[in-house]
Amino acid sequence: MVRSKAWLLRGFAVGVAFALTLAACGGGNAVSSQASGGASGAPKTGGTIYLLSLNQQWDQVDPQRIYTGEDLAFFGGTIQRSLTSYKYSADAKEGTSVTADLATDTGKPNATATEWSFTLRDGVTWQDGSPVTCEDVKYGVSRTFATDVINQGPTYQVAYLDIPSAKDGSSAYKGPYKKTGQDLYDKAVTCNGNTITFKLSKPVPDFNYTVTLGFSPVRKSDDTGESYGQPGHLVVSDGPYMVQSYSIGNGGKMVLVRNPKWNKASDPIRANYPDTWEVDFGIDPKVMDQRLIASAGKDNFAIQYGNIQPENLATIFTDPEHTTAQFTGRAVSGFDPYARYYWVNVNKVPDVNVRRAMWVALDRQAIRLNIGGAFAGNMADGVIKPNIGQDYASTGLLDGSLDWEAGTKVPDNGDPDLAKTLIAKSGKPAPTLTFNFANTPTNAKTAAIVKSSLEKAGFTIKVAPLEAGQYYSIVFDPKKSGEFGTAGWGADWPNASTVIPPLFTQKGGWDLSQLDDATLNQAVDAAQTDTDRADQSKKWQDLNKQVVENMWVLPTFFGLSQTLAGKKVGPIYRWPAYGSWPYGQMYTMP
Amino acid sequence: MVAVPSSEVAGFQGEAQAQTSGRSLRQIVWARLSRDRLAMVCMVVLVLYYLIAIVGPVVAGVFGISPYTLHSELISDLGGKPFGALGGISWAHPLGVEWGTGRDISAQLMFGLRISLVIATSATLMTVALGTVIGIVAGYSGGWTDNLIGRLMDLVLAFPFLLIVLALSGVLTDRLTSLGIPEGNVSHIVYLILVMSVFGWPYLARIVRGQVLSLREREFVEAAVAMGANKRRILFTEILPNLWAPILVYATLTLPAYIGLEAVLSFLGVGVLPPDVTFGSMLASSVSYFQVVPTYLFIPGTVLVILVVSFNLLGDALRDALDPKAVH
Repeated sequence: MVRSKAWLLRGFAVGVAFALTLAACGGGNAVSSQASGGASGAPKTGGTIYLLSLNQQWDQVDPQRIYTGEDLAFFGGTIQRSLTSYKYSADAKEGTSVTADLATDTGKPNATATEWSFTLRDGVTWQDGSPVTCEDVKYGVSRTFATDVINQGPTYQVAYLDIPSAKDGSSAYKGPYKKTGQDLYDKAVTCNGNTITFKLSKPVPDFNYTVTLGFSPVRKSDDTGESYGQPGHLVVSDGPYMVQSYSIGNGGKMVLVRNPKWNKASDPIRANYPDTWEVDFGIDPKVMDQRLIASAGKDNFAIQYGNIQPENLATIFTDPEHTTAQFTGRAVSGFDPYARYYWVNVNKVPDVNVRRAMWVALDRQAIRLNIGGAFAGNMADGVIKPNIGQDYASTGLLDGSLDWEAGTKVPDNGDPDLAKTLIAKSGKPAPTLTFNFANTPTNAKTAAIVKSSLEKAGFTIKVAPLEAGQYYSIVFDPKKSGEFGTAGWGADWPNASTVIPPLFTQKGGWDLSQLDDATLNQAVDAAQTDTDRADQSKKWQDLNKQVVENMWVLPTFFGLSQTLAGKKVGPIYRWPAYGSWPYGQMYTMP
Repeated sequence: MVAVPSSEVAGFQGEAQAQTSGRSLRQIVWARLSRDRLAMVCMVVLVLYYLIAIVGPVVAGVFGISPYTLHSELISDLGGKPFGALGGISWAHPLGVEWGTGRDISAQLMFGLRISLVIATSATLMTVALGTVIGIVAGYSGGWTDNLIGRLMDLVLAFPFLLIVLALSGVLTDRLTSLGIPEGNVSHIVYLILVMSVFGWPYLARIVRGQVLSLREREFVEAAVAMGANKRRILFTEILPNLWAPILVYATLTLPAYIGLEAVLSFLGVGVLPPDVTFGSMLASSVSYFQVVPTYLFIPGTVLVILVVSFNLLGDALRDALDPKAVH
């Protein structure tokens, strides 16, 4: 599930790249407010926008397999529509609220939120002019069940739909290719004219957010299975653009041109200003920065996929909120989707006092400085990031208000004495711990800081660098992993149901701490199925507090990231929905 | 890996013997070498490097300079750039401080130099030992032993060295640990020394074998055989002393190659573990910043280049001294 390569180059210790970064209270978009004027004015219809990518190709183009925030935003804004989408707005609240896209509204639940129906708009067509039908949506959703073919995408379809499990715990329905259990799927998802109805196995009050991920139509006759979307099997569009060509590798390109059959009346969300989109692959991140800084020729119309390299940040920004005069209206700094933390294997470090001591001893200030200081983000007080909205509440960790902190605020650079006291409480000598990290120069420096700061409290730290590409596959195996290591997680939509369950339950899929606690599982389940949104928020906030009380993970930072665009593109803001460019609204300027 | 082509080192012995007039070969070589100013300068530089590597860390400790101390106060919270010109060069930190952590670069260089020299010197000694013994045995025995060793050398030379070193580093360091070598940096250093010598010996063995092939036809060897000397005595008492010239030249040229190789490997992430650094890991973390703080890249780079060039020039001078008529 490791997706974004950008994190590696930036040196952040994160691997997952999921959707939403609901920028909110944190002032994430302050820079963008200067932007709207830009240098040369009004949006122009026509022209080409260039997206410069450091990757060799798209991770995925298949609508059921895309799971990286920036990619979801790009394809969602150009060629792939889903039942609901997010509004285009720089505003934290508006930019993360769902709006009807393929459907005429944001879905109708029954009283218990176990059944949701969506009615498709009239006049939505594929690029050849034939209408997008309810059956196409149903077929698209069913593809995710073919886990041997359609992998790496979001799997909420499998988790939520009311289809029984087979003996091995996987779904009894094996997807549209094998057709095993097809009748079960046909019962759970039904088409009535233009209305599609999903029956769910438990109440999912926020299912209208779920359907932004992977609930896109695919026409059965277009589907080529695993190769769908790859060069030679281009994705068929139902959005304002369509794929003209796609080649991969250095010098590879994807070119999108206008879809002549797209009908503005059926699409209230997308603006489609430029005539063409061109994605240029395989550009070295250092070269990319220099090209965008110079902004000459076609680079005037270029935007960056990935982040500004740390060494150039001081040239472009005076601080995380303001650009230098030269770059006014061209650069964005804002929350990225991730809360960063160090997982702690609770089986190998069972004593809560020891885990607390680890966090207390950690010199988070030096680590933050090493990854970019103020540009890297703020201190985290839990795993729920403030930009998620109502589910966030301060846990009190950073104020020293937790019981075990005994009223003293733990300094950002660590408190070895308090750590020693906590270790003494555990009744055993400080253990030897192994620290895992993906082997990059920046992470190596971070590891040095982790080692020296924890050893001040009496721990003995061994450092175990792992090959970056295999980091997550190794640390998920308790036999090969150490006691703690780096990680990061971002919410999939503005509900902590996409944060707490994946991180702290065995079936959640990202339980690096190896936690499997019956009482906790029950509490998580209760919160997840709570149909009263305010009450649910309260439960997530409590669980987040429990996380830091027990230090199942050691929270480190709420990450920020920075991106740059050429002089003649707009609008320049970070779309809170995915922490990305607002692709569906972007234009060139004369 | 840099190896000396055997054609360049052939014929030392004949030259040296033409010079006899009461002085030993060692005296002749030293006389020639001491007339070569460049070689003398290089030798002084190298002695200095070794001195710094041996006593530097001790002296640094006395002055309270440590490569592990973080100096957050010396770097900007906006991106981690060191305050001040040229990467934070000051009286307290004469070569500046590291981007992002503020660790002292001069101290890092001193400690890193020690690790680099330990690795390169031990690996060279091991390479020389392995190469010499195997080369002598192959050259003198001939027949199927020679054939077998010859094929073995081909096999080792044909291995994609870098790929193997990178791919096996994790597995093999674990293996070393389980064999009782202390975990952590020690096993990483032993691993580097081992792979360098295991993949480096055939170059020297080939040279030695070539020399032995001609030596074993010489009268003094025949005489020894005629007197009934055993094989070990012939190999190591009669033949080996005549080989020290090519071996010495090879060693002085291998050492800098190994220093460079160690830098390459730690640049690629197969080096010592943090918080320790060597040339390669310093270069790896500095390349990102070369446009903003060029000194961060150039200082370790320059120190490394001077070290390697000195060794190379000294090696060349030594070869000239041993074989003044050789044409380069």
